[in-house]
Amino acid sequence: MNRALRSLAVIGVALVVFGPLGLIIYQSFLSEAFFSPTAHLSLEAYRYVLADSGFHSAFGTSLLVSLGMTLISVPLGSLLAFLLARTDLPGKKWLEPWLLVPIFLSPVVLAFGYVVAVGPVGFFSLWAKAWIGRVPWNLYSLFGLVLIAGLTHVPHAFLYVSSALRSLDPAVEEAARVAGAGVWRIALTVSLPLVSPSILFSASLIFLLGFELFGLPLVLGDPAGLLVLTTYLYKLTNLLGVPSYHLMAVVALSIVALTFPLVYLQRRLLRTAGRFAVIGGKGQAFRPLPLGALRWPAVFLLLLWLAVTVLLPLVGVTLRSLVSSWGEGVNLTEVLTLDHFRELTGYPNLVRGIVNTLLIGAIGGALSVAFYAIVGLAAHRWQSRWVSFLDYLVMLPRALPGLIVGLAFLWVFLFFKPIAPLRTTLFSLWIAYTVVWLAYGLRLISASLLQVKPELEEAARVTGARQRVVYRDVTLPLIRFGLIGSWLLIFMMFVREYSTGVYLLGPGTEVIGSLIVSLWGTGAVDLISALSVIEVGLVGFILFIALRLGVRLHA
Amino acid sequence: MPDLIAEKIEKKLGTAQILRGVSFQLQEREILALLGASGSGKTTLLRSVAGLEQPDAGKIEIRGHLVFDAASGFEIPAEQRGLGLVFQSYAIWPHRSVFENVAYGLRVRRAPEAETRQKVGAVLERLGLGQLADRYAHQLSGGQQQRVALARAMVYNPPVLLLDEPLSNLDAKLREDARAWLREIIKQTETSALYVTHDQTEALAIADRVLLLDRGLIQEEGAPEQIYGAPTNRFSAEFMGSNNRFEGKLAEVSGDRGRLQGEGWTLWGQLRANKIAGETATGLMRVERLRLSDGPGTDHLRMRLSSALYLGERWEYLFHLGDLRIRVWGEERLPEGEYWISVPATSLWIF
Repeated sequence: MNRALRSLAVIGVALVVFGPLGLIIYQSFLSEAFFSPTAHLSLEAYRYVLADSGFHSAFGTSLLVSLGMTLISVPLGSLLAFLLARTDLPGKKWLEPWLLVPIFLSPVVLAFGYVVAVGPVGFFSLWAKAWIGRVPWNLYSLFGLVLIAGLTHVPHAFLYVSSALRSLDPAVEEAARVAGAGVWRIALTVSLPLVSPSILFSASLIFLLGFELFGLPLVLGDPAGLLVLTTYLYKLTNLLGVPSYHLMAVVALSIVALTFPLVYLQRRLLRTAGRFAVIGGKGQAFRPLPLGALRWPAVFLLLLWLAVTVLLPLVGVTLRSLVSSWGEGVNLTEVLTLDHFRELTGYPNLVRGIVNTLLIGAIGGALSVAFYAIVGLAAHRWQSRWVSFLDYLVMLPRALPGLIVGLAFLWVFLFFKPIAPLRTTLFSLWIAYTVVWLAYGLRLISASLLQVKPELEEAARVTGARQRVVYRDVTLPLIRFGLIGSWLLIFMMFVREYSTGVYLLGPGTEVIGSLIVSLWGTGAVDLISALSVIEVGLVGFILFIALRLGVRLHA
Repeated sequence: MPDLIAEKIEKKLGTAQILRGVSFQLQEREILALLGASGSGKTTLLRSVAGLEQPDAGKIEIRGHLVFDAASGFEIPAEQRGLGLVFQSYAIWPHRSVFENVAYGLRVRRAPEAETRQKVGAVLERLGLGQLADRYAHQLSGGQQQRVALARAMVYNPPVLLLDEPLSNLDAKLREDARAWLREIIKQTETSALYVTHDQTEALAIADRVLLLDRGLIQEEGAPEQIYGAPTNRFSAEFMGSNNRFEGKLAEVSGDRGRLQGEGWTLWGQLRANKIAGETATGLMRVERLRLSDGPGTDHLRMRLSSALYLGERWEYLFHLGDLRIRVWGEERLPEGEYWISVPATSLWIF
């Protein structure tokens, strides 16, 4: 039984990871799309892409955006982590969940929200113009893109730094206090340096995420003519008229060539971070460091970040969904309407998209968690070289942006004829989603499994239970809350997912996220805003339940 | 037939050789203590018997049935060995009530429900847990959890009960009561028990026989009185009890007696090592064997009182004589000065 479970896990994961990846590599060495009868092995695609100046500039822009957003989000995230984890910041208990909200918001919704809030004719832009005579900012610029990408990725830095700070022995800070250091000096000379491995880890993670950005550059970069690697790939789809799969494969591989070393580096960093984390971690009650007169400026900083990163785009998109039109000279109170939501019901594909989003989130999410649980249990207390093989396997999809995984699975379903009919069902989407969130899901599961002390399982074995019975009677019941929590988190992630579905979008596989991306090309602002509000509402509702149940929002 | 036979068990964890060929037998109804410091390999040995660790070499038999043999690669998994194990942390399943924890072993053996109820009820009653059947682990005290763990391990009458430091998580007062209670319970069940502990008093009090382990080897084996009162090597002599050391030179050997000489003193004792006159040697004596004496005599030393510590139930005096420093226990405060101390030759072991 146990052997069956373990082989199933290793083979299953290997199949869903290597299948798509192998197909991309194969496709990149063909002269045309793989289904074309005249396709033959060639390096043509590499020659074309590597010589294309558009590719060069997209590469440069990607690098700049990644670097810029890392430089913004890591210091800000670390600072907020210190404030919330170590000081007596007022109201930190109810502020903290808000800090993680951007993680659960779809970037394409956020980007769209910024456009309607502070774009050239956004609500706030026009109000500012009415006030001072001109719009004092330009959203459609490299700077705007980098700033917004940086601000929305603050939670990623916050998460890793704050969890490292929490496991730090408060005595090291108290020692600095007794020696006469003020709170800022303690932060800069004691606390943050001690968690530097985690800061470095979060920096490498955000740098990696920079190359995978798709929604933000698609919406914010396009009007300014800015292309990053992912949007370059997306544009390539329609560039040549015929499917230019060979070129797309090369671009996809060039992104993987950048992200894979970063994922590998993170693995190494995580090991050192783990070594540092042992410093204290007794979890005893301690008195937070007093901020003194600085407490209100600190709260203001946090609220300002929240206002710009969460409130601004969400208010924008909500307002836009409630007005019939917007522009200079329009009076807000005269154009309020619910028509856009009614209008949605007139489009069968949009209605299907909403239903599908719910299905893939609720049922697909549950199935994915079950799959992650099987893989997690297979690796659980398994002393074998296969475990590290599995580890590396799981790591691979992290280097693959959702856009590329979706594309690769489209090819898989086109390439392997027997499974071709599944392409137009939600199954194609589900398997792509499951692979994209594989590492995240497994981290959630293994965090739960780590809580199960080995003696609890050993006691059952010695008492006479076989391994399968031990899982059924001890391990699974003990992690049931962890499984429910994982399901809710995966639910949210699947609802907000947008890039993975882009290439798989078709009749039967519509979801809100990919519909927004495709509607963005047609400029259907009214429908996009209504869909966005529905998506945010859904995520908000699940987030509310998760918080009520006391689910930890991070693994 | 012994209940348990372990032969030449060897185990390596990482690069550390934890067990280096340990052999022992557990007789019917016997309580055998595995005593050793942390890192001595005692828990690994117990886990090997349970089937939770796989030794690299050796052979294990339970009631005449082979359960492990490294040479032929034969291994019966832990769940089929039918043993009972009490964990140091108790490992009470938090999602099951006391009743369900204890009933588990019978349930996996598919015992009829009525029999399960009757047996669980009986064992809970016997261990004084009758009222607590519906409670959960977090509603129990440490002592109660320890008893639930014991009930769970013995409800299906295992041939051998394995106990891994079962009392170490109790506070000191409770531990002393539990010691006597535990021995009584095990003796009543007529099962044999392998009892791992690092606490020598516990081992001496509970066990019929003690195995002293150090760095993966058995150093000494015997009844408690023997282990404590007549150790055969220096390690076990020093490991047990509270000791005084006399460093000197072996001046004279006569049969199994030797005369140890130091700076300003000379003492007769039992020679416990193969040594000849002229070699350096160490004398060891349990602190409680030394007495203050009224006057001079054979085996008596004149020493100066250096300090006295009050320990509650007794006083501990520190005496000096040249380089020699020894501790003696007594009942009253002593004024400064020099005293006669009796060092009986029958209790001084020379290694």
